[in-house]
Amino acid sequence: MIKLYCGNRNTNIQKIVSGMVMGASIFLGGCATTEVAKPQETENKADPYEHFNRTMFTFNDHLDDYVAKPISDGYRWITPQFLQTGVYNFFNNLKDINVVINDVLQAKFAQSAHDTGRLAVNTTMGLAGFVDVASNVGLEKNEEDFEQTLAVWGVPRGSYLVLPLLGPSTMRGIPGSIFDTAANPSSYVGMPVQLVSMLNARASAEGSLKFIDEAALDPYVFTRESFLQWRNNLAKDGKAESSLDVDNLEDELLATDKAAPSKPGLPGIANTGTPPGFTLRLDEESKEFKQVSNSFSSVSQSFDTTSKSFEEATRKLDKLKKSKKLRKHR
Amino acid sequence: MALKNIKLAVIFIFCLLMAAHTSVQAEEKGATAKQVVDKFQTELIAVMKNGKQLGYAGRYDKLYDPVSNSHDLTKIARIVIGKEWEKLSEAQQQKLVDVFVRLSVSSYAHNFKDYSGESFVFDSEEETTRGGVVVHSHLIIPDDKPVKFDYMLKEKGDSWRIINIIANGVSDLALKRSEYTTILQREGFDALIAKINEKIDNYSKL
Repeated sequence: MIKLYCGNRNTNIQKIVSGMVMGASIFLGGCATTEVAKPQETENKADPYEHFNRTMFTFNDHLDDYVAKPISDGYRWITPQFLQTGVYNFFNNLKDINVVINDVLQAKFAQSAHDTGRLAVNTTMGLAGFVDVASNVGLEKNEEDFEQTLAVWGVPRGSYLVLPLLGPSTMRGIPGSIFDTAANPSSYVGMPVQLVSMLNARASAEGSLKFIDEAALDPYVFTRESFLQWRNNLAKDGKAESSLDVDNLEDELLATDKAAPSKPGLPGIANTGTPPGFTLRLDEESKEFKQVSNSFSSVSQSFDTTSKSFEEATRKLDKLKKSKKLRKHR
Repeated sequence: MALKNIKLAVIFIFCLLMAAHTSVQAEEKGATAKQVVDKFQTELIAVMKNGKQLGYAGRYDKLYDPVSNSHDLTKIARIVIGKEWEKLSEAQQQKLVDVFVRLSVSSYAHNFKDYSGESFVFDSEEETTRGGVVVHSHLIIPDDKPVKFDYMLKEKGDSWRIINIIANGVSDLALKRSEYTTILQREGFDALIAKINEKIDNYSKL
């Protein structure tokens, strides 16, 4: 009955999907086959630092191959499955603290009540989080973090970045993970616990990383695209309009059918003619950003008008008082 | 007289069967988007159930028709390559489509190899602005979080074909497109074909 989620026991489909969605995100996102970046880079709006990122990706990848993976494999070999699951659940439970905080910051109050319930049930009945009782009772885990909160607040995503050791991120992801690390109790309990936390993270990413290794023709691009899509989908709570990209891509197809390949310039993604999926989403995001800022400005405007009306009211009151005083004097 | 009656009965039954047969064919031809997805998911689950006995080669053979009949793989290959398509010779285009079909089937055969109680559930269907249909469904995995599968379909002739699958918000088409165009630009056509063949090879071994 214990909820299991670790690499070993995952079903294949879970591997596929988790591979797409989380492989990239967790500690040392990397995989075995990567080429060293060649000078000619494909320009991508979301990834202006591709050259640096590819170098970092290769570095992380080698580090993963020679250090993290062997250690993680040892951990997975030596630790019984139930203990791995327990450790996974324990750190996951601590993360629920972040989830609750970010629920509130995103004004998702009903969800924050749900997640507080999860945290309470798992911390008590789940033996300090080692058993995920809540999921069995129907309190499923929500995924929220500060990067998503920033997205909800209208902060634009910024460029894609591959950080040394930490793997894929974005400009917005950096303050996001700093905040989340600060808000997570496991960050303050010294080395052994943190080491286990890292081992656990790498071990539970095993299936995903293996999937990337199997499926990706270009692991760097595969990781980048799946990471960005996954984060976008999380920020929009699963309501990302990825169906739109097909229409856009098809338009481009029809356009090339009609206009023949007479267009010079950068081919493919970099072309500014009809932006494919990602740039579309970027635009959407920036639009959202504008909308949010608009709503902020409208809020501040309404504040202004109310304060003005207050001022007017006080002025009128003053006048009244004065006139009364005048009358009294008379 | 009795013999004649039997003959008539046989002819009658034969006609009935023929009619039934043609109506089945008609149904297949005019299948709605939801029916196409349903049929494919059912066939996939059936192969998963026998996955271990079938082995990789068996699953590949069993899935070849379901995958190529429900997906518009030629169109997917074209969209995935984008503008680069026009730069390829006809022979190259054909080669790419061939390899792409084999890759698609082999990735299904590799990734859906066994069964542990999974099932697909239909959620809803919506029409897109440009005559496409999105079928929303999810896969229930025992002891795990369900996975959202959204299928984007377009009409091809008189039937609907899948042209994109979005799993938990990650679009397969967008992912492949970024990869393929990057490789084509950085390393060229032959490298792309070699890499795809390598993947197919790995799938058959793993």
